[in-house]
Amino acid sequence: MESPEQPPLRRTIESGVMIALLAAFLVVSVLRHNLFGGPAHVKDSIGVIVAAALTLVMYSFLYRDNPMFKSAENLYVGVALGYQAVITWRESLRPEIFDAIVAAPTPEAMREALIHRSVPILLGFLLLTRLSRKYSWLSRYTYALMIGWGAGLGIVLTIDTYILQQLEAAAKPLQDGMLSGGAAAFSWPWWCDAGAVAGAVAVLVGTVCVLFYFFFSVRHGKAGSAVSKVGIWFLMISFGASYGYTVMGRLSLLIGRVRFLMFEWLKTSP
Amino acid sequence: MGEKIDTRQLLVVRRIIYLLVALAVIVPYLVKLPLPFAPLEDSRKVFDRVEALPAGSHVLISMDFDPSAEAELRPMANALLAHCFQKGLIPVVMTNWNTGLTLVDGICKEAAGKAGKISGKDWVFLGFRPGFTDLIVNMGENLKGAFTQDYYGKSTQGMGALAGVASLKNIDLIVNVAAGSTVEAWIAYAADRHKIPFAAGTTAVMAPDMYPWLNSGQMAGLLGGLRGAADYELLVRQPGDAAKGMQVQSVSHVLLIVLIVAANIRFFVGRRPAKRGA
Repeated sequence: MESPEQPPLRRTIESGVMIALLAAFLVVSVLRHNLFGGPAHVKDSIGVIVAAALTLVMYSFLYRDNPMFKSAENLYVGVALGYQAVITWRESLRPEIFDAIVAAPTPEAMREALIHRSVPILLGFLLLTRLSRKYSWLSRYTYALMIGWGAGLGIVLTIDTYILQQLEAAAKPLQDGMLSGGAAAFSWPWWCDAGAVAGAVAVLVGTVCVLFYFFFSVRHGKAGSAVSKVGIWFLMISFGASYGYTVMGRLSLLIGRVRFLMFEWLKTSP
Repeated sequence: MGEKIDTRQLLVVRRIIYLLVALAVIVPYLVKLPLPFAPLEDSRKVFDRVEALPAGSHVLISMDFDPSAEAELRPMANALLAHCFQKGLIPVVMTNWNTGLTLVDGICKEAAGKAGKISGKDWVFLGFRPGFTDLIVNMGENLKGAFTQDYYGKSTQGMGALAGVASLKNIDLIVNVAAGSTVEAWIAYAADRHKIPFAAGTTAVMAPDMYPWLNSGQMAGLLGGLRGAADYELLVRQPGDAAKGMQVQSVSHVLLIVLIVAANIRFFVGRRPAKRGA
């Protein structure tokens, strides 16, 4: 990309443009949000103005990386981490540990809370031993329990959800369309059922060809290569669909920010 | 044509593209264009599933997202809640993302305020509990044990909105509005395990991965990205931010298609003389 060393004239022009944009932003914010209209206006508007400023600074990266963008980026990471810490304390640690044990209303309540919570708390603390080279082995007890619990619970459900039901679905439409629905394929309007059958055949061919493409144990001969190529085509179509959806998603985020800038910061009527 | 790529020229072209995309997003908000759209079949399936529930049914809506996905998922959550309130259903809202707590709280209060519904009686926001899959398993056994209080500190024992709900098995429909990998966990640990109807609303990036679940019937319907949200807004006859965004989306997509075609033409035309010279 561009060299960090910019010609002095260009640097001066860019600094001038930056100052002009900042001034324009402040003027627009003051005028649109009536900041001299009293403390109530300021209270309502300050969040919107800060958010608008940070949004514009973030988009300034599209022109070039710059110190303001870096500051906003670091601010974002810091605020997100701080927020997460506060929420974790408020929603997990305080009600589960502090309120239940330290701030328990009666000694009986505290004793009961200790009985129920001491083992989980101990296991939680053992995880922190990862920070010490000498005692990190203690964390394995917690991990062993977590992995054992997760595997025991997950294996049966995962096999059913991810494998058996998906296998059934891959085979079922073909069976339905060609056997039970086969008679209906010749009834009016026949193309509705024919479409379903064609779709099911495409899923079957796609599944087999893609799986064959990833089967590396045997050298693919001439016929095998042809099947693999069909598999690659199916994969490419699938990646294309994912890319299209990703573009749509990213545009939606841009639309969200533009909507915010236009209707909440600039207060234009929708 | 077969010249080396000029990075300075590329930078200028890139900035022009950014400018064009910005215009494609801003101008349609200012100029009304006749670009109608009809709801997709997958979105209609979610609507039909909610529509078929009798008044008083419990719909568990897990809003697993935070402000980074707000643009796509907030309109979806708004429309879903509006539909539930219109039908007299009881939304049981929760989140598995602690960074989304205040956002989800705002969504619930806004929708309930518009419909004149009361927290704890007509709807409940259970908040966040750590654990994710363990939490879902726990809710499958004892929902009020997993959430002893709602987000506002009211005890769930004896709460009107949760009358008759002992566990997930008493929930009539689960909808996961998600920006992450919670959908699979909801399917495996709740929907498939307890045979509860399940639908999802996801970000557009996640939507293609949802089709195997839809195809297998493990998911009753899908709202994919802003388009899914716009579909739902149309179906509940409350066009909002997402429906307005569709016009912008369409114009931007046309621009991107034109840019992709132009870039490909430029690529193939530029490649030919280099081949000859080789």
